[in-house]
Formats: sequence, structure tokens, C-alpha cells
Amino acid sequence: MGEFEVHRVRFFGLVPAGVRCLACQPRGGRLALARTDGAVEVYNFAANYFQEKVIPGHEARSVEALCWAAGDRLFGAGLGGDITEYDLARLCVSRSVDGCGGPIWSMAANGSGTQLAIGCEDGSVKLFQVVPGGIQFERNLDRRKGRILCLSWHPLDTHIAAGSIDALRVFDVHSGQTVQRIMVNYHVQKVKRECIVWSIAFLSSGTVVTSDSFGRVQFWDWERGTLLESHTVSTSAVLSLAVSEKEDSIIVGTSTGATYQFQLLPVKMGSLEKRWVRTKPFQHHTHDVRAVAHSSTALISGGLDAQLVIRPLMEKMQKKGYDAALRKFTFPHRRLVSCARKARLLLFQFSQHLELWRLGSTDETGKDGEVLPLCRMPEHLVQLKSKGPEHIYCSCVSPCGSWVSYSTASRFHLYRVQYEGDGVSIRKVPKVPKLVLPAYQLQFSSDSGSLFVASARGSVHVLQLLEPGGCKHLHTFRPPSGSPEAVYLLASSADGHWLAAVSGDWAIHIYNLKCFKHHCTVPMYGCAVTAVAIHPLTNNLVIAYSDQQLFEFSIPEKQYTAWSRMVQNCGLHKVWLERDSPITHITFNPKNPSHILLHDIYMFCVLDKSLPLPDNSALLMNQSTLKQLPETARQRQLHAFKICKKFQPLLFADLLDENCLVMVERPIMDIKTQLPLPIQQKKFGT
Amino acid sequence: MARRQKAAGAGKRGPPAALLSPPSSEDEADEAPEEVTFGVAREAAETERKLVGEAARRHRELLKEKRRRRQELFTEQKKRKLLPEAVLQELAAAPPVGADGQAAAANQGEGCGGGAAKQRQGQRQVKTDKQRKGARSTGNYTALCLKDQSLTGLHQQLAKDFLNTHLYGPDTNRAQANEFFSLENKKNPVKKAAVQFVDKSWGQEKKQRATRFKKRWLSTQIKNRV
Repeated sequence: MGEFEVHRVRFFGLVPAGVRCLACQPRGGRLALARTDGAVEVYNFAANYFQEKVIPGHEARSVEALCWAAGDRLFGAGLGGDITEYDLARLCVSRSVDGCGGPIWSMAANGSGTQLAIGCEDGSVKLFQVVPGGIQFERNLDRRKGRILCLSWHPLDTHIAAGSIDALRVFDVHSGQTVQRIMVNYHVQKVKRECIVWSIAFLSSGTVVTSDSFGRVQFWDWERGTLLESHTVSTSAVLSLAVSEKEDSIIVGTSTGATYQFQLLPVKMGSLEKRWVRTKPFQHHTHDVRAVAHSSTALISGGLDAQLVIRPLMEKMQKKGYDAALRKFTFPHRRLVSCARKARLLLFQFSQHLELWRLGSTDETGKDGEVLPLCRMPEHLVQLKSKGPEHIYCSCVSPCGSWVSYSTASRFHLYRVQYEGDGVSIRKVPKVPKLVLPAYQLQFSSDSGSLFVASARGSVHVLQLLEPGGCKHLHTFRPPSGSPEAVYLLASSADGHWLAAVSGDWAIHIYNLKCFKHHCTVPMYGCAVTAVAIHPLTNNLVIAYSDQQLFEFSIPEKQYTAWSRMVQNCGLHKVWLERDSPITHITFNPKNPSHILLHDIYMFCVLDKSLPLPDNSALLMNQSTLKQLPETARQRQLHAFKICKKFQPLLFADLLDENCLVMVERPIMDIKTQLPLPIQQKKFGT
Repeated sequence: MARRQKAAGAGKRGPPAALLSPPSSEDEADEAPEEVTFGVAREAAETERKLVGEAARRHRELLKEKRRRRQELFTEQKKRKLLPEAVLQELAAAPPVGADGQAAAANQGEGCGGGAAKQRQGQRQVKTDKQRKGARSTGNYTALCLKDQSLTGLHQQLAKDFLNTHLYGPDTNRAQANEFFSLENKKNPVKKAAVQFVDKSWGQEKKQRATRFKKRWLSTQIKNRV
């Protein structure tokens, strides 16, 4: 593999925002997630839980409730008082309607997805009709004092249960009247503080399940107004609740980060009487679990520690395999770091600003594993704050380091950076051509002469960069058969001849930059693309898919290469296919044309195409054993995958020159210290 | 009538109370009260009544004075808040078309506050605005009424405060990050020290002195070089 000097970078201060809402698509295998900063993400379960869409947040937008309606339309509502519909093809807010009730605390769609009910600050429940063009206000239900914090429809859409402070109410949808009001804090002794019903669910048997701030999960009979069962799961509040579709399993999330599963089990073997029993406790999170969801096979929880945890239920799994493994997602599945190789600069993308750093340097050399002292420290050169409340979609720095650009939902900025000695000056490029915004991905060409802008409907704009600081629109590429989705990945070849664009429908189109024509389309593979790159010498397109498959497509020949066919015939190693995180960056070593460098969050790999592939019986991560073997034995056991797991969690890895690597890590502990306070845990002996 | 009786009672009680010596001995307490003639008693009652009447009248005068002063203060404050007379008349007389210009002038006038000199200043500003308005009306500009953010912002703030008090308020038993993450260190088979995070405020004074010295040193270097 060779010896590399590694720049180990830990000064990327990324703090992902906590998970606030989760919503499972009823019949689609997708999960919508909203974060505390207003960002909305969509995960695709079938594509190995890949984060396929990200809508960046907004300073003024807070999402308190998220729901799917009418099939695949996603609606969100928050403390701003508006109901927003998200356009998942164009990754932006498509329209927004004022709820007219003050801040909206909760929202739920009815069983058929035709109506939305919102619970507002002023204590009213409002019904909206979901129509093809948007939503329309239908009517108000009976309004009483007390903010409505949670809502649930009865599966038959006849009644709505709403939880507020100290009480829960049941409304009859047809007449709009309150048919039952139950006081929730009746059974607590020495009650000085109010009992807040944080979440509620309505079962088809007429049982209403509530979770409140005293740490109780209670089951009520709404018609008689009586308490059926009460379970105290925690001393702190139980913040979230979700019921499975078959209504035999409930997941609750508490403020301490623990989640519990309740199951409806028969009292005795074979008896018909069933009771709710607290079965499994889980402690996957360290901070409050404010969102839970229950899919048909898994328990899903999202906490304020920015983790999304998917726990498949063993009894629903056919076989015990990788499908049944626990998944934890903390970091986004896309690149937030760009690197200017020649200038040794790194550009970090935060939600509302960018940071440009210059790497340090060292004069010493050393042996394997040694830490070398720096003769020049890394410098923070520029901090670019984005104007306005919108969060940044994408950013990029050119390989020479003299151009920086970024895009938000309504603005596109291009800057020229000049280095005079030790100082840096940055100037905005005026008169940027008007494009359809936002730009979903930005990529500079390898000679820093053009900028490729990924846009909606599968189109890519080519902008030519002019000295001393200007730009001109050259051409717009469009896929031949049109595409409703936006392009989210770009790759350009080193000789400036080819451009590959991946759009949201997972189609990869290759365009010829010399004659501005569409060249070919890579054959469709039924999984999401996570990274693409074009080899500088052979012009082969290397593609990494979210199910961890790797393909190599030869652009000049318009077909898969022989090596790629061999990989598909032999199959990849089992351990490789069972990795949790997708590959987010692929790069090459110009001095070694058979090397491909890839990384995901937990490993960095140098793939040597000239070596044989490992079969399932061989050890995949064999670097440490190889080091100890003598030379002859080593030759026998060498295989193509050279994996290093020393640097974790890895956000970005790149090759600066032939023996210099840069690894950007983000230790989880550094994130946890900047999160809101967790609940105190009293442990014996501390 | 109740007052006269009271005064009379007070009168009757008065002189004996004044003449009464401290009840040190039993025999003095057994003695009968002194004889007082009717005329003396009547005069005493009258003086008494007059004194009380005077006191009441003075009290009433005092209250009236206080009320009058407060009323004056209020009218003064109200006058100070309103625009000066001259400006108000100008505004009433001016045409309603240049509403933005007027609003701007009114704001400026109000911002100045009371005081004679300031009133004159406000007047001048209105005049100049009117002149400028005449020139500006030929230019093209549009005035937009922005969506009223104040009420939604207030509601949103109240909602956020509610969430904060109930999730992070005094009752909620939250721990600091270093306490929370130290638990693992303490429970491990090999016990480690608690997690203590670097506080940026440590050595604050030394850092400040260092930066000041650096600035001074750099300036001397530049001076020497130049």
C-alpha cells in the first residue's frame, strides 16, 4: 500500500442538529425526519437506509410535526404557525398555509390521507382538506382553553383524541363537539406541577394511550372516561409514543434517552384476554428521545443527540443476518468537506457559514504510527457567513484554491480568493448568471476553469470562470428523456472531457463537455448512488451504491469494464457488504493507476485492482496480520482491499499528493459536549 | 350628631384625663371625679371641635393639593408624549398622499421627545421632508406593507419558553455534560478521573496581557523597520 503522511484533522466543528420528528410513510418504505434546525430528510429503507433527500433548514422554521398524506406528499407544521408542504423532487418548500391558530404543536393525517388535523396554541383543533393543489381549510372543532400538544385520529376517522395540559379530550369529527374530557393528573400524589400529555395514540379498540411528563404511559377507555392501565416507565418525562400498524406493539421514548417497547400479550398461554406489558428496554441515546416511529419490522427512535437508531425486531425477521442489525446514524450521508489538493486547503460546510482552512506542514519524517511535530500550524483563513436565514445546500472550493462557491435556497454566491504572502483576500464575483435555484451540488473542473452546477429536473449548468473574477454561462445539459428529480452528485474527468451527473431517480447520465452533448446513460441499478468519480487516466467511472456494491463503467467504451464484471461474478466480501455507512467519497492516486481510494464513516480503504479479490473465507481487514507475516507468506495472503480503521468517525479523506493523506474526523464526544443538557443519572457508587 | 356627641364625650373626658395623676394609690382612684361647670365644659367641647375640624380641613386640603399635583404631572407627561402643536397642525393640513414621508417625519418628531428646542427641530424636519417629498414624488418607488411579524414572533417566543421550562426548567433534574459523561469513567473496572472540560475563561487576564504585549511589540517592530 505504501507509506503515507496523514494530516489528521479534528478542527471541523460540526454539530449535527437533534432529531425532532419522525414519520413513516404508510406504504412506501421511506422515513421522513425533521431536525431541530428545520432540516427535513428522507431515508429510503429499501436502499439500505440511505439518506436519499435532504432539505436544508431555515433559521425561522421550526418543525414540531411531520406527516405523510395522500400517498407521498410530506407536510410539516411548527411554532411559526404555518403548515408547509415539502416538494421532494425539487428539495424545497413548495407551499405554506397559515394555520391561523398561533403556533402549531401537532399535526396528524387521517387514515385515508385526505384530511389533516392540527393542534394549535390557542386550544383549537382545525381540519384541513388535502387537495391536489395544496390544502384547504375545512373547519374548526370545538375550542377549549389549553394548548393542544398532541393529536391522534381514530383508525376509522370518526374521532380525534387530543392531549393538552392536565387533560385529554376526545372530539367527534362529524359534529365537531368534545365528547369526552379526562383529567390526567388525578392519580398523582403531592402534585405541584402540571401534568403535560406529551403524546397520544388512538387505538381501534377505543383505547387511548397517553404518555405524560410524570413518566407514565396510561391506557384509557374514552367512552367511560376511566383508566384501564397505568405503567410508570421512568422518573422523567415520556416524550414520544408510536403504535405499530397491527396495534400490538407500542414504542415510547423518554427524556433520559431510554426507549421501551410495550406489547399486547395474552395473560396466560392460549387465553383470549390480552394485556399491555412493558417488554424491552433500550438505551441507545444519551439525550432526550423526542421522536419515535414504528415500522412493520423495526423500532425507530431519534434523539436530541442527533442519532437516528433503527432497531429491527427479531421476531419479524425471517433470518438472522445483517438485516437484523442495529443501525445508528449520526452523520449525514453526503460530503460536507471539499479539498483543494494543490493549495492544501479544506472548505468546511456548516449550516449557515463556511470555513476555509489551510493545512499545517511538517518537516520531519518518521516510522509507522509516529506522530510528527508540526512546523506550521493549520490556519483558519476565511469564515464566510451566509446572508439571510436560509441554510446552505452545497459548497465547493476549486482545486487551485482560488474560487469558492456556495448555494442556499434562493441565492448563489461565487467568490474569488487571493493569497498574498500570508494574507488572504476574498472578493465576491458580481453578475453571476441567473440560474434556477437552488443548486444541489457544485463541482469545479480539475483545471479550475469551469464550475458545474447541479440543478432541478436533472439539468446541469456549465459556467465558465474568467480571470480576474467573472463568470459566464456556457451551456445547460438536460437528460434526453427528462427527469422530475434534481441532480445530487457530480463528477468531472481530469482532462475536462466528461461530466457524470446522478439525479434523484438514480439514473447516471454522462455528458461530453467538448461538444456539449449527452454521451450515454449507465444501466439502471435498483439502488441509490452514494459516490461517483472518474479516473484521471483511463476515464473509467467508479460508482458506489448504497447497498455497498461497486461498479466501474468505461466511459469511452460505454460499457462496464472487465474488472467490474469480475467483481460482480465473484461477489464482494460479506464483511464489506455488511457495512453500515455508505461510501461518500472516491478518489484516485495519479501515480498508481490501479488504486482506488474510498472511505465511509468507519473505515478508509485503498482498493488495488491488480490484486486478487478476497473470497468469503479470507479475512477482509487483514492489514494488521499482514504486517506481522514474513514477505513470502504475505504475498499469498494479499488481496485487493486494504482497509484502515484507525481513523473514526471519518467525515472526509483525500489524497493530497503521492504520499500525503488528509483525514477529517469528528469524535462523537466532541459533539455530545455541545448538545443541550441531558437528564441526571444517579448510579450507585458515584 | 355623632360627631358632637363624640366631641362632647372627648371634652368631658379631656380635663379629667389631664388632671389624673398616675394611679399609684388606691384612694385616688376611689375619689369621685371633679365637678366641672356646664359653661366650662361647653367651651372645652367647642375648642375641641374646632381643633378637630381644623385638622380635618387641613387633611382635606393636603389631599386636594396632592391630587392636583398628580393631575398636573399626568397632563405634563401626556403633553410631552404628543407631538408639539405646530407639528400636529402641519400634519393635519398636509395631503395624505405622501404617507411614508409623513410617517418618517412623525417618527423623527416623536423620537426627539419634548422640549421647546426639540419641538422646533421637529417642525424643521417636517418642513424639509415636505420639500424633499415634492422632489421625490417624481421618482419611482413603491411602499410595501410588510407582514406583521411582532405578534407571531411573540407567540412563538411564548411557545418556546413553555417548552424550555418544561424540558429544561427547575424541576427537570438536568445534569451538566461533564458530570454525565464522567459516570462511565467512574463505573469502569479501571476507574478514571472525571471528565473536566476546558473552560475558556481560565487564565483570562494572562491571555489579555499577552495579546496587549504582542500588539505593542509588533508596533515597535514596524516602527523600527519603517
